[in-house]
Amino acid sequence: MNANLLILPVLIPLSGAAVALLLRRARRVQADWTLGTMLTSLVVSVLLLWDVWQNGRALVLQSGGWPAPFGISLVGDLLALVMVVMSQLVISMGILYALGCKDSVAQYPFFYPLFLTLGVGLTGAFLTGDIFNLFVFAELLVISGTVLTAVSDDKYGTEAAYKYFYISLLAATFLLLAVGSLYVSYGTLNMADLAARIRVDASQPLLPYAVGFLMAAFMIKGAAFPFHFWQPDFHTAAPTPVHAVLSSVVVKLGIYGFLRMTTLLFIEQTPAIQAILIVAGIAGIFYGGLGATGTYDAKRMLAYSTMGQLGFILVGIGWGTPLSIAAAIVFAFNHSLIKAAMLMLAGTVASRASVKSAAYSVVTGLGRKLPFVGVLFFIGSLGLAGIPPTNGFISKMLLFRSGIEAESYLPLALMGVGSAITLVYTMRAFRKIWWEEPVPGIKFKPAGDVVLAPTLLLLLVLALGIWAEPLVQLALDTSTWLADYGLYVTAVVGN
Amino acid sequence: MSETTLFWPILIVFIGALFALIIGLSPLRQRLSIPLFATLLAIFSFSAFLLDISTWPSLNDGRALVWQINWLPSLGLTLSLYYDSLSALFVFLVSGIGTLVLIYAGQYLKGDENAWRFLHYLLLFMGSMIGVVMAGDIITLFIFWEGTSITSYLLIAYKSKYEEAREGAFKALFITGGGGIAMLAGLLIVAHVAGGTDFVTILQSGEALRNSNLYPVMLALVAFGAFTKSAQFPAHIWLPDAMSAPTPASAYLHSATMVKAGIYLLERLNPAMGSTEAWFWLLTLVGGITMLTGAYLGLKQNDLKALLAYSTISQLGVFVMLIGQEVEAAFKALIIGILAHALYKSALFMVVGIVDHETGTRNVTRLGGLRRAMPVSFVLATIGALSMAGLPPLFGFLAKETLLAAAVHPTFSPLESYLLASAIVVAGALLLAQSGMLVYETFLGQAKDKSVHAHEAPWPMLLAPAIPALLSLTVSLPNARTVEPYLASAAANAFGTAVKVSLDLWTGINTPLILSVVAITLGSLLFGQRAQVRAWQNRIPATVSFNRVYESALRLIDAGAYWATRLQGGRLRLYLAIMLLSMVGLVLRFGATLPLVNLLANLTWPTPTADGELAILRIFSLVFIVVTALASVLLERDFAAILAMGASGLGIVALMVLEPAPDVALVQVVVDILAMVILVLALARLPRPQRRKAQELTLKLKSFRPGLLWDGFVALSVGALVTAVTLTALVSRPRESLVTPYFEENAKPLAGATDIVGAIIVDFRALDTLIEISVFGMAGVGMYMLLRYAARKYGDVGAQVEELPAPIQRLRSRGIGGAKTSSFVHALAYFSLPLALVVAITHIMYGHDQPGDGFTSGVIVSLAVGFWYVVFGYYETQRRLPWLKYDAQMVSVGLLLVVLSGLLAAFINGTFLSPLNFGAMLALPLPKGFYLSTAFLFEVAISLTVVGSVTLMLNTLGHPGQTQEEAKARLQEIARLEEENEKQAKG
Repeated sequence: MNANLLILPVLIPLSGAAVALLLRRARRVQADWTLGTMLTSLVVSVLLLWDVWQNGRALVLQSGGWPAPFGISLVGDLLALVMVVMSQLVISMGILYALGCKDSVAQYPFFYPLFLTLGVGLTGAFLTGDIFNLFVFAELLVISGTVLTAVSDDKYGTEAAYKYFYISLLAATFLLLAVGSLYVSYGTLNMADLAARIRVDASQPLLPYAVGFLMAAFMIKGAAFPFHFWQPDFHTAAPTPVHAVLSSVVVKLGIYGFLRMTTLLFIEQTPAIQAILIVAGIAGIFYGGLGATGTYDAKRMLAYSTMGQLGFILVGIGWGTPLSIAAAIVFAFNHSLIKAAMLMLAGTVASRASVKSAAYSVVTGLGRKLPFVGVLFFIGSLGLAGIPPTNGFISKMLLFRSGIEAESYLPLALMGVGSAITLVYTMRAFRKIWWEEPVPGIKFKPAGDVVLAPTLLLLLVLALGIWAEPLVQLALDTSTWLADYGLYVTAVVGN
Repeated sequence: MSETTLFWPILIVFIGALFALIIGLSPLRQRLSIPLFATLLAIFSFSAFLLDISTWPSLNDGRALVWQINWLPSLGLTLSLYYDSLSALFVFLVSGIGTLVLIYAGQYLKGDENAWRFLHYLLLFMGSMIGVVMAGDIITLFIFWEGTSITSYLLIAYKSKYEEAREGAFKALFITGGGGIAMLAGLLIVAHVAGGTDFVTILQSGEALRNSNLYPVMLALVAFGAFTKSAQFPAHIWLPDAMSAPTPASAYLHSATMVKAGIYLLERLNPAMGSTEAWFWLLTLVGGITMLTGAYLGLKQNDLKALLAYSTISQLGVFVMLIGQEVEAAFKALIIGILAHALYKSALFMVVGIVDHETGTRNVTRLGGLRRAMPVSFVLATIGALSMAGLPPLFGFLAKETLLAAAVHPTFSPLESYLLASAIVVAGALLLAQSGMLVYETFLGQAKDKSVHAHEAPWPMLLAPAIPALLSLTVSLPNARTVEPYLASAAANAFGTAVKVSLDLWTGINTPLILSVVAITLGSLLFGQRAQVRAWQNRIPATVSFNRVYESALRLIDAGAYWATRLQGGRLRLYLAIMLLSMVGLVLRFGATLPLVNLLANLTWPTPTADGELAILRIFSLVFIVVTALASVLLERDFAAILAMGASGLGIVALMVLEPAPDVALVQVVVDILAMVILVLALARLPRPQRRKAQELTLKLKSFRPGLLWDGFVALSVGALVTAVTLTALVSRPRESLVTPYFEENAKPLAGATDIVGAIIVDFRALDTLIEISVFGMAGVGMYMLLRYAARKYGDVGAQVEELPAPIQRLRSRGIGGAKTSSFVHALAYFSLPLALVVAITHIMYGHDQPGDGFTSGVIVSLAVGFWYVVFGYYETQRRLPWLKYDAQMVSVGLLLVVLSGLLAAFINGTFLSPLNFGAMLALPLPKGFYLSTAFLFEVAISLTVVGSVTLMLNTLGHPGQTQEEAKARLQEIARLEEENEKQAKG
């Protein structure tokens, strides 16, 4: 496939956003256009992934035709494309949900363009092979996400967006410090080139700083303990379609970052990074799980749960074996689908409440009138808790298995306890909303958000639980590619 | 069934579940009576039953049928089934009792609108349970295992409007689900050691498993899973609470089948993992304690279902204990016990359900004397109870005999035998007393509560318990012996080698018989004295209640949850402090200080160089930057602080000019000014009271408080770290950038630019620029969204001011904040915009060769527009510059222009965003130094986007107010101030 096509997953939504800006007065057209754009981009991404997977060769686009370390390279290796497909899939579903959503946000003139640029930022950050370019894409992501949350119907939206923006600026500063340190030390921004040069000379005095800063930056992006503080506040306040995207795929940027750090950039520091990831991951599993148990709001419960689930993925990366990395990728992919669907379902319930809120004080017992949503939510809960026949089981089984192979029993045991907590909080939420008595006098709106998007996502959740082979094979192949950092380097800068 | 059709029993039952679902969701449900519906569903389970008994005989030689499909070939995982006599025995129980329970449930739930849901769950459970006992590998086993947990959860909580149903369901799920996680881990370790997940491999790797140093771990985990499922002490606590399920579910899941899943698993793994010291002690102790606990607590109960639940626990304990043994006799007892127990316990449960259903209570203190009203139930209950009590000629007697025979097996030491046998005798006596109580208190004697009315159940409802009850009797029939080989084969599968099973009731006068007599005597005594015994039991407080452990586990989770959510209290300052310190910790962790220490040790101060004057200027700029930055923090008035910040930025400009880095300096200066303008406009937009409040708050924060020390510490540590980075960078910098020489060499020949920075922006790193302008454009869009729409949450409905009241109409042409501006300033403004446009155009045209580019040109135009807003006010500016309303359109066109020119380049040159000189291609006569190229288009696009974005910001910030009230209030305030001024001028 022509390497030029690699720009399309970025370019299609970006042009789509630009056109959508012109459609500010024709909201319906704008919405349909946005969905069409994202779906087109998704199809292209899937084709790219398929091509790269089948040919076993990464696609590399030297943008502007400038040879590798001098221009900006876009690198479509398996990891990047898996992440892109995952993100664009969930973002498409988020847009689909927004189309049938009662939030007033979806009626604002620039909601959809911002949704698309959110997708551009995320996609670009995965695809780029240039560490400064990654920073730029991440900025696009941050600004879009901030605005989308700030205009939320939730009364805390603006405050939460402010916090997020502030902390993201902090992350950006860390990232920039890391980029600067690396550039000063190695004179290049190209990740492949950097990796090769760091491999040759790891004695640069600024290298340790760069590792630390980059680590902190990605820990913020990936809501890893103790850099997670922005996450539950920010995600909960976001409008449902945005929350579904933020809490599922956007946080995976951190995961992606750690994978690149440990398999490409800092091979020498990898053991130290991995040790930190395991500790942070376990802490996140417990903190997120406990927070999800203790919170007062179904959407907030799911936001906390994201932190917990990311913890599992971090531990997988921390083990660093080929199988555990594959497990982390499968886990990341599956979690995105489950979490997005669950959030949309919580949003659907909230949209039926008298005040638009997913707080248990409002939604308790509301589910009795929404049995189908209940079935979906139950399936999603099983997915989060890792119970068959959902894809969550595949994630957990793979991760446990890789932990046993890595002979890392203490984290494994703690993960087991964490899984039990997952069961507690998902079942509690289900029980509250679907089984308990509604608060007396509570009103129930006759119409709410459309459940098409979460239904599709959950069908996928079940399909990937029953027939997991393609995803697992893909993850294993990705992991095999990652095992040899030289593959990436030669693909981008040649020998 | 053959190997290829092994999945049929499972499939049939799941098809039945699907059928139940379809009927339940369709209007057909109204036409179909529930008993008929349930009977139709029973056909599915009965088919599975027939398939099972038709295949069982072929397995008597101890062989196993295996079926598998490659499920996850990349991991070597299969979905497989393994079907031997042991599986067949369990399938026999699951599908057989299942058929009866379905028929029974149809009667039990007559008149329940949602009965189809119950039946659907029941079939789902049945399919999963058959799956568990037929699973051929650990993954399949686990999948179905969890399936039973989940369906059990749904069945217990069927009457979900009752708190106890929800609680009981959750408790069961939490305990068995937690056990499931442990079991999965344990089984994965087993598979890891055995080198395969399927039972064929695992059963062949017994040696490796037992000798592995992971053996204790896997044993503990797997046993934990099995114990929780099979309600072993101390995890037994969920089973009594699960009795809040409708009785058909209790009879089926919580006595006959699901609770035996753990037993099945242990039996299945016994040949591979058993026969070790650890196995023996773990199973014997846990099973023994469970047996005694269940029997003891059962006698205490008043609720008939609770009584049966505890006796089930006791029986399950017996089974676990038996699996722990290494003797053939134990497995004979085990298989007979399982069969006997399933028969009598399901019968008893169903009878209790009938009693409950027909009288409305199952409390023994209210029942009594029902034998006349419910004669058939009475007979069935008596048969079941006699079997449970272990009296001849029932199956239960045989079970107890064989059990005692196993306990006094000669391989045990006398002490072991003595302990085991006496425990069994005690438990047996307790169970006998309970059986007596069950029958006596319910059916005999006098009715204790006159308000309880009873009548016999319809015959199909009685049929269901009648069959297992009568089967309990058949053991005494002569042709009962024909099933001996089947049972022997099942026992052999669990034991590992052949087991001889005989169903002879009379084996002569031997130790087991004597012990049996002892147990019966003791039990009869207990039954006779039950009032005293129960009173005595109730006096002993339940000192060790494991419910408290469960509750405190949940409380621990809740306490953790409390602290987790407390830490997440929304305090940004705390968040930042933790994050910043963690960041410092991270950087230190990677040993960043070491190189710094080395560097500092070798640090020499730079000697002053020749360019002394410049050095002085540099030092001056640095001091200026620091002072103004400090001032921006310390100054109290917001406006002054903003100005100070702007000055600090200008200081950086000076440094850049001295570097010399003219491009950076130019961008910095225009951006700095633009930022000031926007901030000042934003301030002007804020209502005065709000500004005042914010200032007061800032002042309070600045005053000294203990927290300030902590904040200072955080700030200092981060500051020190960043200083260290800078210093290290400075000292270790001799390295030349690797990419700069390339840029220097190729900027002119390849990109056609003498200004390298220009070439970097629009050529070498064009993609960065494209995304950067998207960010910039979206910032404008974002500000528009925030001010126009986010404000709606706070009561601002977003209505635009259309008509203003006449007295303040004249104020429309005032500058921002109502300032009156002189005509001199007006003239300046008139002049500045065209000038800015000319400068902008030159920047765009010659950006490739000189400092300045599309970005600076855009900002310069925007600044001029901003000036207009300040001078003329919103309405006047909008009137004079109508193109300003195409703000978002400019952003859009700018972005599309880049995309199009990039695509054009892709089609002509083959690469997206590659440089292309259209002027040269078309040989256009263009002025010298100006090239019509992609770079030029890019510069235009950047400029457009920037102007569009800033216009968006200015349009929203410069707007006097979103609501009629706000605008009116603002203008009225201005009018008032004006009057005051006039008065002062006069006075």
